[in-house]
Amino acid sequence: MDEDERAKRSAVIGDESHLSPEEALALIDAQRGKAVRSLYVDPTMILGAWGGAWLFGFGAIYLASNGWLGTVMPAWTAGAIAGVLFAAAALLSFGEQIRHGRGVEGRSRRTAAMYGWSWPLAFVGLFALDLALEHQGLPADLAPLLWTGSSLLAVGLLYLAGGMLFDDRLQYGLGVWVLVTGAASVAAGVPGNFVVLSLAGGGGFLVAAAVWRVRGWRAERAPA
Amino acid sequence: MTTVRALPNLDSVIHAQARLRVTVALSVLPAGDRVTFPRLQELVGMTAGNLSTHLRKLEDAGYVKITKSYQRRTPVTYVTLTKVGRRAFEDYVAAVQALLATPVDHSGEEEL
Repeated sequence: MDEDERAKRSAVIGDESHLSPEEALALIDAQRGKAVRSLYVDPTMILGAWGGAWLFGFGAIYLASNGWLGTVMPAWTAGAIAGVLFAAAALLSFGEQIRHGRGVEGRSRRTAAMYGWSWPLAFVGLFALDLALEHQGLPADLAPLLWTGSSLLAVGLLYLAGGMLFDDRLQYGLGVWVLVTGAASVAAGVPGNFVVLSLAGGGGFLVAAAVWRVRGWRAERAPA
Repeated sequence: MTTVRALPNLDSVIHAQARLRVTVALSVLPAGDRVTFPRLQELVGMTAGNLSTHLRKLEDAGYVKITKSYQRRTPVTYVTLTKVGRRAFEDYVAAVQALLATPVDHSGEEEL
């Protein structure tokens, strides 16, 4: 293409070839930020949603379990609050993953999809196991400890896996924290376990969300 | 033009607003991943015609690879940054940063 044609075409398509280095760098930063926000889920939001669900969901169940504060709300209200919050957090996580992954394919998306499906698969397995134990005569007072303890084991392991998969120490650390919280909650027994799950569990997610926000996880993904 | 003379080492294939945008957006994807044409259009905020023009230039330079395939009989165009393109972009960023790190003497210019 000769110089005249190039100039003509540049005029037509608004191609400003003469960027200064400052302009070029500013453009790179702006476009990179825009692309990263569009292509990747913001973990701050997801972790914040789960943190809120644990804090208020398990908190509500504790308030319905005749703990130190007595029975503050009926069990069905607490169950509904927890159910809605956990369903909302799960839907948000799933929806965000779909929304940000649109129109992209390749190895990283296959990895992310397999990891994403590991969550519902793990919980299907966990439901089957826990329900079977209940049917085979697990004492009723142990059921809440089994359900929460086994759930936290699964969640903790999945975060360990996420840490390994995406080379992310914060995610790995959250996994360790969830495993410790799960063990501590079972050791506390009913209804103290719900305080542990609400404060240590929910608090752990909220701290992780805050750390993610502060450290600027986006910078780590982008090269150069 | 003085601006051009001040930037002797910048890759002219990348050093244009539209193509720089496209290259940056593609570089954010992990190496080897590809993106559909409409999704790329959304990432860079360009019209289809404009994006096609610039993709052709990047493709001619060997910086992007364009693949057309079918999904349930609908044609889908995928775009990906090649190894050469990723390397060229890294070199470009390094060159821009080097230029910015070099102190420029503006005293003479202002008097003219």
